[in-house]
Order: sequence, then structure tokens, then C-alpha cells
Amino acid sequence: MIDLNEIEIGYKKRLFSIESIQLLKGKVYSLIGANGAGKTTFLRSLQGNIAPIKGQILINNTEVKFFDRVKLSQTIAFVNSKFDGVDYLRVSDYVGLGRTPYTNALGRLSEIDLKIVENSLTELNIKHLSNYFTTKLSDGERQLAAIARAISQETDIIILDEPTAFLDYANRKLVMKEMRKIATDLQKCIIISSHDLDLCIESETEILVINKKTKTLDHFIANSLSKEKLIEIGF
Amino acid sequence: MTVARKNKFILLSLVLLFPIVCGLHLFAGEISVSFSDFWNSLLNFNTDNTSQTIIREFRIPRLTMGILAGGGLSIAGLFMQTMFNNPLAGPYILGINSGSSLFVAFSVMTGIPFLTSNIGTISSALIGAFIFGLIILSFSYLVKSHISLLLIGIMLGSFTSAIVSILQTMSEPNQLKLFTMWTMGSLQQVEFTELPLIILFFIVGISLSLFMIKPLNALVIGESQALTLGIHVKYVRLALISITAILTGIITAYCGPIAFVGLAVPNIVKMIFKTQSHLTLLIGCFLIGSFFMLICDILIQLLESTIHIPINALTSIIGAPFVIIIVLKRLA
Repeated sequence: MIDLNEIEIGYKKRLFSIESIQLLKGKVYSLIGANGAGKTTFLRSLQGNIAPIKGQILINNTEVKFFDRVKLSQTIAFVNSKFDGVDYLRVSDYVGLGRTPYTNALGRLSEIDLKIVENSLTELNIKHLSNYFTTKLSDGERQLAAIARAISQETDIIILDEPTAFLDYANRKLVMKEMRKIATDLQKCIIISSHDLDLCIESETEILVINKKTKTLDHFIANSLSKEKLIEIGF
Repeated sequence: MTVARKNKFILLSLVLLFPIVCGLHLFAGEISVSFSDFWNSLLNFNTDNTSQTIIREFRIPRLTMGILAGGGLSIAGLFMQTMFNNPLAGPYILGINSGSSLFVAFSVMTGIPFLTSNIGTISSALIGAFIFGLIILSFSYLVKSHISLLLIGIMLGSFTSAIVSILQTMSEPNQLKLFTMWTMGSLQQVEFTELPLIILFFIVGISLSLFMIKPLNALVIGESQALTLGIHVKYVRLALISITAILTGIITAYCGPIAFVGLAVPNIVKMIFKTQSHLTLLIGCFLIGSFFMLICDILIQLLESTIHIPINALTSIIGAPFVIIIVLKRLA
């Protein structure tokens, strides 16, 4: 899916390097690292917004910098740490925006698009909210809606930037559970940046940690790392 | 009834109401005219017939300008509000009108025949609106706060009106009178023969708007999110500024600055339709914007025998309190 070989990540100055990591479909990766270690820069590099200092980021064997904007939006969906909701924007219309990369110049949703929107809502168990205004949801529900929007975008990759930062414990657990379910059910490659070490370990995700000493990105498979060890490497 | 159906129903009712409001406006003036005069003035115009002349030379241009000014400014306001993610944005408050005013003032006062001609005035108005649109756009990258951007717009407005008043002191009496009349705003400055050109500009502006619906819908959730949905935000912003310049520029050139319509109407439309679908909002803004303008103008015509209210004064009297209401509602 995503091939990272001999890459140096950074913007103006080098932040860390990647020897050889393959990110696969069907898995959830937690991206861990200290503030300023380069998590955001890495996520932006994956989306083709920042070119790596050295090496090429390959998605499905094509270098990401050759993707045009529409192709990119059909390959990678992005979820922010917070969506505040918009006046008069209903959940169904919001999730429908995920179809933007596929609609014609006038942006009209077809029957198929509407079906995909409905399925995304069902996948996250928020179909009953589809007529609600996004401003009227709880923080947790809004984050689920944002994830539903990313699913309706039908991309192989979903990147989430600290999606649980503003959620309470129950909702954090719920979001991680849903992400694992989506990765397996829909065969997506999901990358989540997070500061919540306990949650990442508990949710049995793969771990990508920016090693503080060696300045490399290290990959650990699920359940192979204790919290103490993770702290030692990353912080 | 689903939301989409309910909104279709409201739109349809507004469309049906449209000819009625137009009719009211057409026959509201002090001198009463008949319906047959209206058709004759269009289809077989007789220059000796006073009623027909009144309709053709005064009423029809005034009606057309009312529709276009109300509808056009409201659509421009909708664009600005979505683009800057700011419910208090509008072409007037952001100073885009002032760009037109300044350039029109310059071109009128130069006295150069080309610049004072119709096409010269329109061009100056469009260029002025576009340049001031670009200025506001570049400021929007620098200032993060919504209020700051509005303040910059208001300052642009004050700045240009200062320059315009200096220009006025230097101009000849008849130019001065013309220009002072223009700054009060009027729907009656246009002649029948000028209408086709103005309508043509409008059709271009509105047709381009249709291609903005998809990016506008995505821009609702913010610029960075729109980018990840495959929208070319940079080009879209330029396109939106250009269309706003066309719509605002041409209205400002012919009707003078008209305040608050572009700010108030999109907010009213959103309250009525309760949606962020920009196709619905666009049609809604056009219809309700022109209703708003025509009803204001009917009021002006009814009061004309007692008091003469400039259109810009009336829209401000209604619009300014409305803005305060929006601000209070946001704070609550």
C-alpha cells in the first residue's frame, strides 16, 4: 500500500529518517512521537503537501508527488482532531461532502453516492443522526460523523490527526474500536497520530514511533511493546 | 416532508411570487399605467404615448435594476460569507463596493470621453471591485480573526470615501451633483437601451456561479478540508472574487453603493432554508434578494410624494439593525 524506503522526513531541516517500512491495508497504525518530533510533517508528507528531503513516498507503487489533487483525494482521506460543526449543515450533507472527489462539475450526488453515504453512517452506527445539524451533536458524535465523511470518500488510506484529543474516555475507546473495525471490514490502511499511549496499546494497533535517540521511525507490530518501552523510545 | 422537498416547495412558491412582486413594483408609481401599456411598450412601442414611455424609459429599467441589484448583491454576499467563513461578510462591508466607487469617481472626474462613456464606467467599476477584492483576499491570509477582516474592509471603505470627497471638492458643480446623486444610490440611472449589456454581464456572472456550487459546498467545512476533498482552493478563491467583482461592480456602477443587502439577505436565506446546499442558497439569494430590493423600492415610490428616501438610506435603515441582531444571536 504505502512503501517508505530510505526516506528523510523534514521541512527545511531533517527531522527523522525511515529505513524501510511498509504500511498495509487492513491495519491501523498509531503514530507516536514527542511534540516537534515530526508527526505532523510526516502526515503532511504522506499527503504530498511536503516533499521528503530525501527519497520517495510510494502509494500503490506511484510516487505521491505525481498524484493530482483529485486523484489524491480519491486515495487519502483526512480527519482533523476537531470538527466544530457548521450552522445549518446536516450530518447527511456533511458526510455527503466525502463524495466531492467523484461528483461532476455541479457537485450533484447520484443515487449511488447517497447509498454510499448511508452505508458510511450505518458502519459507524450514527444513521439516526443523519438529519441532525452538525452543531447540535456531542463532541464524540461529531468525530464519528467526521470519520463517516472520510469513509464515504472511499479511499484506501485514512489519516487521522489526533482524533481522540478532545474526547472523553468512552468516546476515545469507541473511536479506536471503530477504526479497527473499519480497517478490517473495508480493508483500509489507517494511520492515527496520537499522544494517548495507553489507548494505542490497549487498542492493539501497530505502533509507529519516532525514536528520540536514533531519529528514525520504528515500526512495532501490535502487542509487542509495553508502555514503558514506548516511552523510553519516543520521549 | 423531507428537508429537500420542503425547500423545493419554498423555492417554487418564491418563483410563483416573483411575477406578482414584479407587477406590484411596475405599477406602484404615482402615475398609474395599465397592463396593456406594459406589453405595448415592449412589443410595439409608440413614442407619442406617455404611459408607454413612462413604462419603457422609467419603470422597466428600474424594475430590472431592482431585480439584478438585489439578486446580484445577495449572491455576492453569499460567496463572501462562505469563502471567508464569516456570516458578517458582504461586498459592501468588505469594501468591494468602495473599489468600484473609487474607480468610477476617478473615471467620471477625469472627463476623458472614453472613461465617462458607459463601457468605460462599467470597466472601471469591474476593475475597481476586482482589485479591492484581491486586497481583501490577501488581507484574509494575514489576519486570522473574522472581526479584523471586517474592520479592514470598513477601513478600506472610509479610506476611499475620503479620497472620493477630495475628488469632489476638485470637480465642477455639475459633475459634483451627478456624483453626489450617485453615492446616494438609485435604481433609476439606467436607460432602456443600456439594459441588454447589463443583463448580459449578469447572465455571465450567474452562469459562472453555477460552477462554484460544488467548491462552495466543500468550503463550508474550511479551506484545509476542502483541499483534502480535491478542491483547487486557490483557483476557486480567485474565481469567486472575479464573479463577485462582476456582480458588485456592475451594480455599483449603475446604482451607486447599496449597503447591507449582500450581508443581510444570505443570512435570511439560510434561516429560511436551513441548509448549506449552495444550489438552494444561490437560487434563494437571487429571489429573496430581488424581493427585498423591489419591496424597498415600492416603499420608496409610495412615500415619494411626502419624502424622498435614497435607496441606500433605506437598505441601511433596515440592514444595520439586522446586523446587530445577527451579532447578538451569535454571542448568545
